[in-house]
Amino acid sequence: MKIVSALVGLFLGALVGLGSALAAAGIVGSSGNLSGNIDVKDWVSDWTIGSAAANPWTRARVARHGLLALTKAEAVYFTRNTDDAGDRLTESCDYRVRGGALPAQWWSVTLYNSESYLPDNTDNALSYDLTDAAATVDPSAWSFVVSPVSSASGEGWVSSRGAGNFDLTLRLYKPQDDLIADPERMLQAPSIEKLGCGAAN
Amino acid sequence: MRVPVTGLSAFVLALVATHFAVLNALPGYIMGKARSRFLDAGLQVHTWQMSPRVTPQTQTIVRPAPDLAYAICLINLRGGPVTLSIPTWPEYGSLSIFNAHTDNVYAGSLDARQPDAPGKLTIVVALTDQTVTAAEGETIVRVKDPEALALVRRLAPSQDLYDAAAALVPISTCGPV
Repeated sequence: MKIVSALVGLFLGALVGLGSALAAAGIVGSSGNLSGNIDVKDWVSDWTIGSAAANPWTRARVARHGLLALTKAEAVYFTRNTDDAGDRLTESCDYRVRGGALPAQWWSVTLYNSESYLPDNTDNALSYDLTDAAATVDPSAWSFVVSPVSSASGEGWVSSRGAGNFDLTLRLYKPQDDLIADPERMLQAPSIEKLGCGAAN
Repeated sequence: MRVPVTGLSAFVLALVATHFAVLNALPGYIMGKARSRFLDAGLQVHTWQMSPRVTPQTQTIVRPAPDLAYAICLINLRGGPVTLSIPTWPEYGSLSIFNAHTDNVYAGSLDARQPDAPGKLTIVVALTDQTVTAAEGETIVRVKDPEALALVRRLAPSQDLYDAAAALVPISTCGPV
């Protein structure tokens, strides 16, 4: 009876261990994006991304959702999947993202679907970056619209067509040392305002 | 009472052991799958290959940056150390080395605007126990496993810049010392 009990325990334990590991890595379950211990107004990051010093949960999650990510000396990554009201970012709503000067040599904001891939569309509007901001009247106060249809106003546009639920990833290349030391103080985190939802907005 | 205790102990032991075994194995497994995908797509070991301009239709790995031009070289150190030499770039650019477990073990700048930037960046990748001598100005990057991956990123948000980045691939090197 003891042997049977031990075998059943081992089998069930292995099963739960496998499932919990795959869920922690973001391979199964609903939590598909990168997570981390740095949170600046819901933009989340982890300075150990890309590093061998990362804990096993971070390493597994980065391997699944951020393969070939660089260490913080070269680039840092912030991800956000909610708007300013705390609601999940979704293709069925439009948003305006606003930001200012960012403490890095170059930066970009890119939209990814819940599987961490670019959304399957042909709109050629996948990201907004410092090059776009620099072309505006005031590069220190940039904004762009996230929507499944092109912005008629001529404002910067990132297409969410075909994305379903999505997140935005802010990449900061060659981040300033001050940002690494004190991200909460140094990062002027972009806001994400919901403009409306549904076909009529 | 002893039977449930035995079963419960076995359950907890198996859960913890499996959880961490799977977590620790996943990066190597995923990197191996990515390497296989690159080889299946026609990439050859020790050859720089420009990735197509990133679009939803061409993406092969998670979270590619559409503003960057990527070039990849698959490294195999079983035959000895490998030297990489890559021209710099007038905008942001980097050369990074990833070991077989997805760790970014090296990142060097290709930005020609950096002070004292050379015209090209040269590094040597070697196993921890391989003997290698680097020339002056060259960096030696050590890894534990023979399979590694080199990745060049160059800021290229337009087709013209992508084409300019692609033109640098034939004059980049990635091969045995």
